[in-house]
Amino acid sequence: MVVTICIGSSCHLKGSRDIISIFQRLVSMHGLSDQVELTGSFCMGQCEKGVCVKVDDELFSVTPATAESFFNKEILGRV
Amino acid sequence: MKRTFGTDINKIRYQVYVEVAKAAFANQLEEKRDEIPYTIIPGRTPSYRCCVYREREIIRQRVRLAEGHAAEAGTENKNIVQVLPAACEGCPINRFSVTNNCQMCMAKKCLGACNFGAITFEQGRAHIDPKKCKECGKCAEACPYNAIADLMRPCKRSCPVDAITLDEDMIVVIDENKCISCGQCVINCPFGAISDKSFMVDVIKLINQGAKVYAMVAPAIEGQFGADVSVGMIRQAIKALGFTDMYEVSLGADFVSKNEAEELAEHLKEGKKMTTSCCPAFVNMIKKHFPQVLDNMSTTVSPMTATGRIIKAMDPEAVCVFIGPCIAKKGEVIDSITFGGADYALTYEELAGMFEAKEIDPADYDEELQQGSKMGKNFSVSGGVTACVLEVLKEENEDISVKVNKANGALECKKALMMLKLGRLPEDFIEGMACVGGCVNGPMMLNKSRTFMKDRNAQINKADDRTILENVAKYDELGINMTRGSVE
Repeated sequence: MVVTICIGSSCHLKGSRDIISIFQRLVSMHGLSDQVELTGSFCMGQCEKGVCVKVDDELFSVTPATAESFFNKEILGRV
Repeated sequence: MKRTFGTDINKIRYQVYVEVAKAAFANQLEEKRDEIPYTIIPGRTPSYRCCVYREREIIRQRVRLAEGHAAEAGTENKNIVQVLPAACEGCPINRFSVTNNCQMCMAKKCLGACNFGAITFEQGRAHIDPKKCKECGKCAEACPYNAIADLMRPCKRSCPVDAITLDEDMIVVIDENKCISCGQCVINCPFGAISDKSFMVDVIKLINQGAKVYAMVAPAIEGQFGADVSVGMIRQAIKALGFTDMYEVSLGADFVSKNEAEELAEHLKEGKKMTTSCCPAFVNMIKKHFPQVLDNMSTTVSPMTATGRIIKAMDPEAVCVFIGPCIAKKGEVIDSITFGGADYALTYEELAGMFEAKEIDPADYDEELQQGSKMGKNFSVSGGVTACVLEVLKEENEDISVKVNKANGALECKKALMMLKLGRLPEDFIEGMACVGGCVNGPMMLNKSRTFMKDRNAQINKADDRTILENVAKYDELGINMTRGSVE
């Protein structure tokens, strides 16, 4: 599964780096590094909804505060 | 600073970066975006195309790329290298065509060679029916006068991995599953119809917001802004743009050399062959076209990631921006978001545009600076990575003989990887560089003058002779891991 995190400046300022580290930690905690690929993306053009995260092709809005619950629901739920 | 340009395509790309950077630094991109095509293409007389309206549409598409989007709205994909459909002339080239050299000979070997009935004769002279021609090339091989020309479209010809096809309107299409972002099509399209997405606006916005943005200049930097413009002067100019500081990626290259040398020694002891991993287009080639040999690729990070990790170990708030002659590095940034190295990548061309936008000229500054070793600075030249790795083995008194395949350019890389895949590579170590000559011949080099290498070497010769290991030891206390993969 590919999880794409927007690294455009707007999402950067809203914490995309923190979300990447939270996802990284959870991926390794659940032993999913072979199944979940974390990758970046140029600005997805939805800055007002940032931080933009795409799981497969579905777009979500995530904040560092919601990152863990998002991971448990949308990523763990799909693996 | 008065810039000279290789072609008018370079000039226009540069003008777009300058205008977009000006607007972005002034926080006025929203308001100014629509004015840029008129600033660059004024009046009613076209210079290159059928009309100014098309020329302006091309500028609009370039502005979108400069902002990190696809050239046309609604066509977003992950690829770094993008087509500007408005600029593609759909070159109506039939690949094989008969030239005036046709001697109307009796043997008509071309006719015999064609298996598709595509060759007819008009008044004794050969003619190829493009509808029947399958582009096999047999006729051209058969002609004893070399009268049949192979005119492949420049974009297709330049692509080392066959990633370019044409749509039904003959407009170029890039297959993102095959593209390795080497940038050859970008510099070889004579109409400038292929270009790269940019992080420039993101970087400027972060500078404007007061983020601690660090520049990391690739080892091809010496001589880029003129024979007498040193790295120290460029550092001052970069700080004047609003960056917090600048580091040389040749410093990270020294770390990579040490790690990779130790890795190579282990591989050789196990009788296993190894490839380098510093050139992102070479890495893409392995991942997309030779995944069978991924296991042989060095697990050492690239000098870009290494330098980013060093900076972040000293300043955890740092936003690290690689600046180099490379398009593929932008893709490396996206692929390695979990590595804790670079956050963004720019090209020297984009940096020059930012300087011009703020009316900054590196030649006006005065500072000396050296962070990388002389050897590390030559990571950007074909053979330079090998020289560093062997130097470390020597400095560590490792008595190992290494047979090296210096794959200079994408075609040599492909050959070497094919041999490795087939288990027939005679050498132990592949140094893969997708650009012929190395990064110093990268697609986004600013200074491609004949004297460039001389100017560059003159600057590097002024640097001190610190060894790679001495240089790395200075940062020992940071305890930085140089292995690919996530940092916890």
